[in-house]
Amino acid sequence: MNGITIKGLRKDYHLGKTVVRALKGIDLDIKSGSFACVAGPSGSGKTTLLNMIGLIDTPTGGSVRIAGEDIQTLSEKSRTRYRSRTLGFIFQSFNLLPVLDVFENIHLPLILHGEISREEKHERVMELVRAVGLEEHIRHKPFELSGGQRQRVAIARALVTHPLIVLADEPTANLDSVTGNEVLDLMERINRERGTTFIFSSHDPGIMERAARVIRLHDGEVQAA
Amino acid sequence: MKERIQLCLRNLARHGWRTRIILLIALFGSFLTFVSENMLEDVSIKQSDMFGRSFAGHFRILAKGIETKNTFGFYYYEPEEMLQPEEIASVKQFLAGMPEVSGSQERIVFTGLLYGKDDAEKGFRGVAMDMGAYNKELTDLYYAKGIPVRRGEAQTCAASWAEYDKNKIVEIGKRYVFLLPNREGEFVDRFVTVAGGIDYHSMPKDTMGVGNMFFDLDGFRSLVGYEKPLASEVVGFLRDARMANKVLPRIDAYLQEHNPRLKVVSWREYAPIFAEIVLGFDVAMRAIEGILIAICILLVIKLTTFSIIERYSEIGTMRALGFSRADIAFQFALEGFLIIAAGALIGFLLGSAVIGGFHIAGIHNKTTFFAWVIGNGFSPGFHADKIVTVSAIFLAVAVLAPLLPAAQGSRLSILKTLERR
Repeated sequence: MNGITIKGLRKDYHLGKTVVRALKGIDLDIKSGSFACVAGPSGSGKTTLLNMIGLIDTPTGGSVRIAGEDIQTLSEKSRTRYRSRTLGFIFQSFNLLPVLDVFENIHLPLILHGEISREEKHERVMELVRAVGLEEHIRHKPFELSGGQRQRVAIARALVTHPLIVLADEPTANLDSVTGNEVLDLMERINRERGTTFIFSSHDPGIMERAARVIRLHDGEVQAA
Repeated sequence: MKERIQLCLRNLARHGWRTRIILLIALFGSFLTFVSENMLEDVSIKQSDMFGRSFAGHFRILAKGIETKNTFGFYYYEPEEMLQPEEIASVKQFLAGMPEVSGSQERIVFTGLLYGKDDAEKGFRGVAMDMGAYNKELTDLYYAKGIPVRRGEAQTCAASWAEYDKNKIVEIGKRYVFLLPNREGEFVDRFVTVAGGIDYHSMPKDTMGVGNMFFDLDGFRSLVGYEKPLASEVVGFLRDARMANKVLPRIDAYLQEHNPRLKVVSWREYAPIFAEIVLGFDVAMRAIEGILIAICILLVIKLTTFSIIERYSEIGTMRALGFSRADIAFQFALEGFLIIAAGALIGFLLGSAVIGGFHIAGIHNKTTFFAWVIGNGFSPGFHADKIVTVSAIFLAVAVLAPLLPAAQGSRLSILKTLERR
């Protein structure tokens, strides 16, 4: 199977002597090409779950398999490579590099792809710039863009390496509802056109209803999937 | 690589004041190191040349009982140890027959007294000799310290302690009262007129001493009432200082046979002392260079660490995007390298301009104190080995200094860096 299979995923955080159980044994199957929303209130474990899938954090127990491969058992080098080749990230605060302009920010992950020619890199970036509608802002720095424009740059950056899965942690949280819906439209279109799996988190009911599948978390457990 | 350098340059531009500080430190450090290393080499060459020609090329013949070590030629002896006129004539005649010896002359080494403020006595050491007959080719050191002397004049350079205390000036042409040793070793008071010698008007007064007094020999003898032309030594000059090891044993053999009371002493016995002077100078300069480089390294580490702290979130983002720890470390190390290398390069260019300027203009010395170090001056130049050494040092600084903070930055947890705002 090309999707994501999660079995008995647990994550404990130790805050002094207190143990916080962020994920309490999650079992999930997410098919390839899904447009899924991880929903739930603050502290329900949405971000932790995305971090586990994105190899940003390590679980206390359980496994995450992507395309049949248990990614938690990968070496540090392989995890890095996995993040670079298979995954794309969209952050709530956009996380664009302030010193780079729109083109350079989108191009950033391609620095690691020596196997791609310069021409192809340029083509990919330009294609995404057009796709996210930022042709006129291509040489603008992040501080010269609106929140929605910044998030569109972040989406383009996440897609430029042609990842199988894009993980988006509350991608619309810092945007107004109109802009948030525009960003969702864009993600949906890319999901439809390219077949890229999108897993995004949100606690906004308006956003949740846009997802093809909603995985509801509560206190570190799947309430409904 | 081009993309990574581009990213580095953008980040360096962002950390404006920090980048400028690192650049200036590297520039200042490399400039000083470049200039001082090249100039030190020239000073060293000049010193070797001066000491070699002024000292290694000399030898002296004197009574066996006189201890000359560590006296710099101002040694003590009993009156009866002085060379008699026939001994002087015999030795000079033998030396005149040696093709390796360019000339010889007799001298009197003496200790004098003069009255200071409130009638306080001040001691001084002097050498009486015929400066006009002195081998000019070998006496740059003396000439560096004073005006050239002319044959037939009662030349002297004298410092009156009393006058110095009062006016901070000793004038050529003035008369001073000195106590000088007579043949019996007693001090006799004599008026001495300063007829020439060191130009005390143009030298820093705080460096003025009361030693190294040069008279013409006959004038000195008549001044202190010597009835016979005695001398404390005969000084000989080698045509080539490197011949000393071959020539001195022959002189020694001659003395053993004809003048067993006398011995030959090479000025080479002072070589270790001069080597120490040169070494001391080198050590002092290198210590300054070392401190500058250490400050440079520490500041680079500190400022790079600040940059890393400021960019925590970016490190997390880049790691999430697939940059490895090595990529992150490389990125910060490259930033440090680029800025230090740029600063060092500008420092080298400025240093080259300064050395080039001095090469054309020359460095001229009129002080007595520095005469011991650089004589009357020198013309600095570029030394390939020093340029290579300094470049290697700053290349090492540029590579190594940013490594520690870069490595620390790369080891940060992705999760924690992403959480940081």
